[in-house]
Amino acid sequence: MSRFRRALLWATLAAVILLTVLSIYGAFLGADRAQALFNSVPLVVYWFATVALLAAGIALFRRLLRVPSLLAMHLGCILVLLGAMWGSQPGHALQKRLFGIDKIPQGELDILEQIDENRVEVTEGKSIRELPFYVRLRDYREEYYEPGRLFLWSRDGQSWQMPAEAGQTMVLGKNLGTVTIRRVYRNFRIDVENGQRVTYDEPGGFNPALEVDIEGPGAQPGKRYVFAWRPAHMNPDSSLAMNYHQAVRDYISELEIIEDGEVVASKSIEVNHPLHHDGYHIYQYKPGGENEYGNKYTGLLVVSDSGLNVVYGGYVLLIGGVFWHFWGRRILHWFKTHYVVAANLPGESR
Amino acid sequence: MEIKYTIQGLLIYITIAAYLLAFATTIARRVRAGRAMFIAGFALAAISFVYRWLHVQHVPLQNLFEVFLFLGVACYPISWFCQHALRIGGQWADMLIGAIVLFPAGFVFNAEPMQLPPALQSWLFTPHVAVYMLSYIFMLKATFQSGEQLLNRRPRVEETLIPPEQATYELIAIGFPLLTLGLVLGSWWGKLAWGRYWGWDPKELWSLASWLVYLGYFHWRHMFGTKHPRINSLWAVTGMLAIIVTLLWVNLAKVFAGMHSYAT
Ligand code: HEM
Repeated sequence: MSRFRRALLWATLAAVILLTVLSIYGAFLGADRAQALFNSVPLVVYWFATVALLAAGIALFRRLLRVPSLLAMHLGCILVLLGAMWGSQPGHALQKRLFGIDKIPQGELDILEQIDENRVEVTEGKSIRELPFYVRLRDYREEYYEPGRLFLWSRDGQSWQMPAEAGQTMVLGKNLGTVTIRRVYRNFRIDVENGQRVTYDEPGGFNPALEVDIEGPGAQPGKRYVFAWRPAHMNPDSSLAMNYHQAVRDYISELEIIEDGEVVASKSIEVNHPLHHDGYHIYQYKPGGENEYGNKYTGLLVVSDSGLNVVYGGYVLLIGGVFWHFWGRRILHWFKTHYVVAANLPGESR
Repeated sequence: MEIKYTIQGLLIYITIAAYLLAFATTIARRVRAGRAMFIAGFALAAISFVYRWLHVQHVPLQNLFEVFLFLGVACYPISWFCQHALRIGGQWADMLIGAIVLFPAGFVFNAEPMQLPPALQSWLFTPHVAVYMLSYIFMLKATFQSGEQLLNRRPRVEETLIPPEQATYELIAIGFPLLTLGLVLGSWWGKLAWGRYWGWDPKELWSLASWLVYLGYFHWRHMFGTKHPRINSLWAVTGMLAIIVTLLWVNLAKVFAGMHSYAT
């Protein structure tokens, strides 16, 4: 092996070890500072050097070019790195300089129901920029796991939980007594009729609550109401704190994309199911809700898709390459030696 | 840590006991008895898996409990495959691995359907985890083989087995594509859930570091072949150490605050 090629292999090894060490160091920094580290100037130099190293490897080692699996995985790595660079902040600046493509790399889009919006607060630098289309929120809703759960804590630090279903009971012990859930409200309302308090479930709104009974020596007799919106707290006269928790199953925003006043696309987006339009992905980013005027709102993240297909193409090559190299060839070899009697054995493992 | 007072739990505990007994018996050089115990453990694990399947009425690969239960079943076939198709020994290690992977199913993960936060509700969740865990089994087997190499042991029992250094290479060669796939699936999922395929959070960085160590291993071994067998083995051991940190430290000790921390 020529000295130059030997040097190239050493350089590869050094590059791999360096990135390993930096990754571990980065893990101690936490995500934000690690991101800054891996986007700093010395690391940018490192990324370019690694791409060059990979390209030089393919150019100078015949086997890397001739063995398809080796070519695929090394080429795959090049694509992943180039795609990531192209999609990065400086990559976007370069796109603008070279091709005049002016895209927003990433930003937040907070929108109110029925008000078309295209202004995005850019993540880097916090400036306001406009998308080439408008986004409209038709509806926003949250789905919850049913049933929710009732959590209970005693003064001495014991805790319990039970499914929040009418009829559920739980014995907490001799002193604390027995807890029974009498009723589950989706939208709790209370009125006073003839001097009596009347509670009822009003269709439409959303104010989840539980009606709970506690029977036992230390317990105050009577109904108690536990509200989902209210954090657990301990009344001075009670020996239990309670909290009604409904875990969110999904945040859903029904979106429409408007171009020239016309709806050109629509989708109910939720976490893990973004909308893709005109070079951008739109994600459910923050929980939405209803403001004091009864208008719904939602928090979206808009991300440019620049370079994404290159990265994904790299992934496909990388995965195809490693599986073919390490699995495919072994399986083929196995079939040949077992079923093709006169096969030549490829001297695979050194 | 919680004990499961259910038939499912009981089945898992008996399986763990069988695997551990198989391990102890094999270490005590009662190889045949050990193998019989191993097969018995496998049968129990399979029953446990089928029981779960009937109980939940879907393929039980949808949460962490079920994935680890599956791995507890997979250990024996993997071991059999390695021995018969690849001529790789170390069955004693496979018995131990069987007990290790069933431990989280028995004591850590809740068997009840979990209320997953929205980000974790993705069809990619199960393949991402399952592929990683499968690769970890092969990497763990490789680590035991490299341990044998470092201790200068040769396969005693069956002459036909390949020597530990080569066995380490073969096992890593099988595990590495799975490790790569796990990383890529995770990245893809990150893109769908959070809008980015790479976020530099500690768990991601540790998993990248683990992958890179094995990458370094391959390039090192390409350069030197079997000239420095001990260094080859040390690469394999280092890879396993990185995996253990990826798997346990970040999740359990919650040393770093990262986006992945709620995946436990
Ligand atoms: C950083 C990303 C890289 C990845 C993911 C990667 C991956 C791999 C893998 C998996 C192998 C197979 C090892 C084996 O069959 O035992 C390999 C082999 C090899 N790589 Fe890389 N590599 C990378 C960078 C490089 C670079 C920069 C070079 C060029 C100097 C290089 C040169 C080689 C050579 C010469 C082989 C051996 C081919 C053979 O089997 O003869 N690699 N690489």
